[in-house]
Amino acid sequence: MWPDPNLKVATLVSVGQHPKSGRARRAEQDARAVELGLKMAGTRSRLVNVGAGDETGLRQYLGMGLPELMQVKAGTEADAVPALVEHLKTHPTDIVLTGIRAEQGEASGMVPYLLGEQLGWPVVSRIADIQKIEDGKADVLQALPRGQRRLLRVPLPFIATVDNAAPEARQYAYGPARRGQLAETNGTAIVDEARLEWQETPAKPRPKRLNVVKAKSAADRFKAATAKPQGQGGQVIRDGTDREKAEAIMELLISEGVVR
Amino acid sequence: MLLDWLLPTLLIAALALLAIGAIRRINLWRAGQPEAVKLIAGLMAMPRRYLVDLHHVVERDKVMSNTHVATAGGFVLSMLLIIPVYLFGLESRWLTIPLLIATAAMFTGAIFVYRRRRNPPARLSKGPWMRLPKNLLAFSGSFFLLTLLTSGLLPENFLGVWGGWVLTAILLVGIASGLSELLFGMGWGGPMKHAFAGALHLAFHRRPERFGGGRSTGLKPVNLDGALGVAEPKDFKWNQLLGFDACVQCGRCEAVCPAFAAGQPLNPKKLIQDMVVGLAGGTDANYAGSPYPGTEVGKAHGNPHQPIVDGLVNADTLWSCTTCRACVEECPMMIEHVDAIVDMRRHITLERGETPNKGAEVLDNLIATDNPGGYDPGSRMNWAADLDLPLMADKQEAEVLFWVSDGCFDMRSQRILRAFVSILKAANVDFAVLGNEECDSGDVARRLGDDATFQSLAKHNIATLSQYRFKRIVTTDPHAFHVINNEYGDFGGHYEVLHHSTFINELVEQGRIQLDRFKGGTVTYHDPCYLGRYNGEYESPRALLKALGIEVSEMERSGYRSRCCGGGGGAPITDIPGEHRIADMRVDDARQVDAETIAVACQQCTAMLEGVVEPRPEIRDLAELVADGLVVEAAEPGPAKTRPAVEEVH
Amino acid sequence: MSDMPISDVPRRDPRTEWILRNRLHPQHDELVAASSGPVRGPSGLLRKNPRAVGYIGPNGLKRIDRSAGFSGGAGGVSFRSRGRSGQAEVELPLHTVEQPDFYVAVVVDLAAGRLSGHDKDVLGQAHQLVNATEGEGAVLAIALGEAREAAFGKAGADRLIHLTDVQGEPLDGYCPERKLAVLEAVECEFEPRYWLFPDSVHGGADLGSRLAARLGERPAVQAWQVDTERTVCRGGSQLTDWHRPTARVMLLAAECALPIDETRHEAKPLELTVIPPVTPRIEDLGPVDVDPSKIALSEAEFILAAGNGVRDWDQFHAVATTLGATEGASRVAVDDGNMPRFRQVGATGTWVTARVYVAVGISGAIQHLQGIGQCDKVVAINLDDGCDMIKRADLSVIGNSQGILGELLNLAESRQNGTGADTADLAIDTREEERHVA
Repeated sequence: MWPDPNLKVATLVSVGQHPKSGRARRAEQDARAVELGLKMAGTRSRLVNVGAGDETGLRQYLGMGLPELMQVKAGTEADAVPALVEHLKTHPTDIVLTGIRAEQGEASGMVPYLLGEQLGWPVVSRIADIQKIEDGKADVLQALPRGQRRLLRVPLPFIATVDNAAPEARQYAYGPARRGQLAETNGTAIVDEARLEWQETPAKPRPKRLNVVKAKSAADRFKAATAKPQGQGGQVIRDGTDREKAEAIMELLISEGVVR
Repeated sequence: MLLDWLLPTLLIAALALLAIGAIRRINLWRAGQPEAVKLIAGLMAMPRRYLVDLHHVVERDKVMSNTHVATAGGFVLSMLLIIPVYLFGLESRWLTIPLLIATAAMFTGAIFVYRRRRNPPARLSKGPWMRLPKNLLAFSGSFFLLTLLTSGLLPENFLGVWGGWVLTAILLVGIASGLSELLFGMGWGGPMKHAFAGALHLAFHRRPERFGGGRSTGLKPVNLDGALGVAEPKDFKWNQLLGFDACVQCGRCEAVCPAFAAGQPLNPKKLIQDMVVGLAGGTDANYAGSPYPGTEVGKAHGNPHQPIVDGLVNADTLWSCTTCRACVEECPMMIEHVDAIVDMRRHITLERGETPNKGAEVLDNLIATDNPGGYDPGSRMNWAADLDLPLMADKQEAEVLFWVSDGCFDMRSQRILRAFVSILKAANVDFAVLGNEECDSGDVARRLGDDATFQSLAKHNIATLSQYRFKRIVTTDPHAFHVINNEYGDFGGHYEVLHHSTFINELVEQGRIQLDRFKGGTVTYHDPCYLGRYNGEYESPRALLKALGIEVSEMERSGYRSRCCGGGGGAPITDIPGEHRIADMRVDDARQVDAETIAVACQQCTAMLEGVVEPRPEIRDLAELVADGLVVEAAEPGPAKTRPAVEEVH
Repeated sequence: MSDMPISDVPRRDPRTEWILRNRLHPQHDELVAASSGPVRGPSGLLRKNPRAVGYIGPNGLKRIDRSAGFSGGAGGVSFRSRGRSGQAEVELPLHTVEQPDFYVAVVVDLAAGRLSGHDKDVLGQAHQLVNATEGEGAVLAIALGEAREAAFGKAGADRLIHLTDVQGEPLDGYCPERKLAVLEAVECEFEPRYWLFPDSVHGGADLGSRLAARLGERPAVQAWQVDTERTVCRGGSQLTDWHRPTARVMLLAAECALPIDETRHEAKPLELTVIPPVTPRIEDLGPVDVDPSKIALSEAEFILAAGNGVRDWDQFHAVATTLGATEGASRVAVDDGNMPRFRQVGATGTWVTARVYVAVGISGAIQHLQGIGQCDKVVAINLDDGCDMIKRADLSVIGNSQGILGELLNLAESRQNGTGADTADLAIDTREEERHVA
């Protein structure tokens, strides 16, 4: 059934950054969204980017084998939502896919919700897959923490954010990335005034929360101060029957809540 | 006599067919991409390349070498004489006696060929190759007899009329079959094709530097604005196609290929034959040698304009190669298997984006962080936080630039790096490192076919290196050594690069470090491919071990025949399953000589060999062995320096 | 009960007893006050229990020691009881808000019906905001869906709106549209000064974003340092901080503030008068059964990993299935063809983040240990008690993996059947513990 040539899928992509080097790249969740788009609509699925994004980053999406990326030109300080609303109103679309959060900037993850609100389309968050589309409704697999899944049914058109549990994005290749077209159009560029007043600084490391002991007595304080810190070598059971050893393990599994 | 007109006709027909076939074959090669070669100089150099360079390789098997000299030499000489004698009817003892000698030599050689074919080793191809010795015998025997009869060396009417007719008939059959194999078959894809294609291959070899004792192992760069790698046979350079046709299917490559031995789906010989199928069109049904392990023969088909991968060759075959160059080293025809494999990988990676397994992730990391593990590029010096290494950025100038390589992120390799630093310090070498300015050398990216990433890394590193003054680069990583030494030149980076084994050996020879005797047990030495076969450094590591008082007990496969550890060419990344692991086989080699320690000179080899389940010999890098054996004179130089001062006071 | 902490063992303290007897001792008053001091009653007033004097003598009669407070064996008993159960039952002072001037709304995730640590942090943050704002404010917790053991008052809810259904439709599963309708009703009726959500994968981030979009508010997302004026938010890839004015709708990062632990709160239920009707477009077809063995290694919370030491592979798979663990493997196990490559854990395989990682017969190559660096609890089953995995593990059992796995399988199976011997054992254990305490 996939890819469906009549299905109109648009993937909203942004330029990501590598968490260690900060170098521009395709954003991981957006790339998974592109992968899902490729699965559903093949190379006819559209790529849309708003802004003046870094070209190497955007070309990595093209390197996944798509012929064109529509870049709605707007300044780096512009708000992406009006431009996207305009684009989606003028280009018929059944499914809008995007990542949960951007890898750069404010990364509020609000774009899909604002689009949903302004277009009146339902928003489904954190999907892992789209299983089928029947009678104008899509069966969407939503990702829950720890590998769990939930099945949702949503009418088209809708907006979905793609979770890290979705299939991994294919490798991007140099050849298609070089050949792909970056089609530029001009869109509504409204400067995001509010953000201009904010300050962006390199992330300050957050202090790890310590296990604060509110000791009521000297004995408690003493205990807290002298207790063996965790991770300094664990308990080793050498003797005893297999049964006893298994019980010790089982106890830990139960206390950690992984065996219910 | 019947033969008087029939023989010249046969000869002319065979020669004409040879010419037609040869032109046809040449046109097949010309379907490939243009590559400039020196036509005249190449042809002029060909006899020497054949007689000297090729025979260097063939001579590793003495019997076969002599057999080939007799057969091939006899054939060439007899053909040169047969044409004047039987085509132009020149009668002269000056021609016939040498012709007799030539055919006799060829006959003798052919007997040895025949004997070998009676019980051929597995690596040899069967099929048409099995009939070759018979036709060689027929050709040489017939012409010998014919010449003997017509030369007037025998008394008149030696055989009588009937005997003459019978003999004539036999001779005709022999001559016809011999000519059809040796001339017709040469032009039309028979086993003798190797002589014709091989001679031209030697003349127009893509790496002429290899002849005359030279070495050329660096990969050729991709023009990133042109075709990216090889998708179809026609995308190879024309002289690469020619090279494939030169294959004699002797299977020496197969016998040394670590991937083949491990049961991975690669057989270098079959690969080259598949390329021949690709350039000529057809299927591999006629292939009569060992298959790719686990793959059936007869299913592959191709033509010059059909994609190679999935059709002619499975991608897994290409990704099984460790680029150890053992096949290239062994090939008597000097065929460049590794170049071809990397060319095809380039297409898979750069155009299809289908680098298998961890390949995509590694390339992604290299692009985003300049190291294959995706570590913070600003943490390159964390391993040496306590070592206080001088930075090039601070010093600007140093005698030695220590190229740390990506081993800095790996906990095991860090031990090697630290050992080497202790040696540098003990010898008071004026050195510095690039620190966070260093990037991956690009070795893995290039072997995985991503020449775009390789080139950007190489250019970046060259730009960094150009800022500083240093005499030489020393590295503990043979892969970085090879790439900087042999592959950066194409991008304007020319340096004197030394591997740490060479450099430490120099220090020992100059007496800058003193070594204690090694107190362990039996030691063997594993030659890293990228140090040995790629760069010809076999002696320094051994000299160094000798300086430690170690008598290396050599494994059966050592030196230029060393077996790969399985870690090259991105093989651990692409990780194509086989029946065995290459590293296990290598450790078995060491066990056979009862080694307690395997001395290595490469962090990749260390990682691979240490991945073998214990109990196994201990794996130690040369730097670690030397660092352990360093006679620390810290106490002596101190007083030595202060003593004169004390004396002055007196 | 050999593992009982030293301080819980009843012990006489001769020096204390002596001071308690000696009214002239300079520390006498202090100690008497400490050992029989007043406690805070449920309304926050100080209460003195007139009956809390004396002890039961050996013949069952109550004895009052006039030498003031405690002495002798009784002192030991009460000392112990303070150490063990007394402390747990300390009644925290109740914080009451009679007439709130404003509300700070906290929409808790209530994942699996419980308040998570993240929920409690957000409630703590809400109180910080209330305290820093003029006027008397109340923290309004909004809990949508079934709650189990959710101590809203203890976690800091002054007011509580707890709904399990809207217009007859239950609020479980995925129903953001219905929940949004409830929040809109809250907005109409109570106009909270702030809307706080845990920025979590359990629905907080989703619902908060929806509300912000509906109200036209620009939310502060991944906020981790909040006061009434300024907020610091984590930007993309956790690489930057955005310093911005505090927003009305905030999606708070975990550990943004300390949870409430010194007061109790009323958790007085509030009713919503009107909830506008909604027709949800997103239909929840319910959870999909996920085979633990299909869960990607990097996502799995419980991994049972096999190495070179595993001989009986069928048994290993059976244990993994019964325990509901995701299977992992060391490189050797993969290389030997016993496990597929995508199951390989380590620097050259997958980096895992499991909460519990059980390594069976894995000696712990450096690459492997790197790959499990982020696991919370590591359990090792190994024959060699000197291997590196044991040094890393929190719990190691030395022995033949086959035998131990076999017993583990039995335990897990009997647990699944519910009436297994081990559950009974555990029950006995707890009863015994109670006896010791009593």
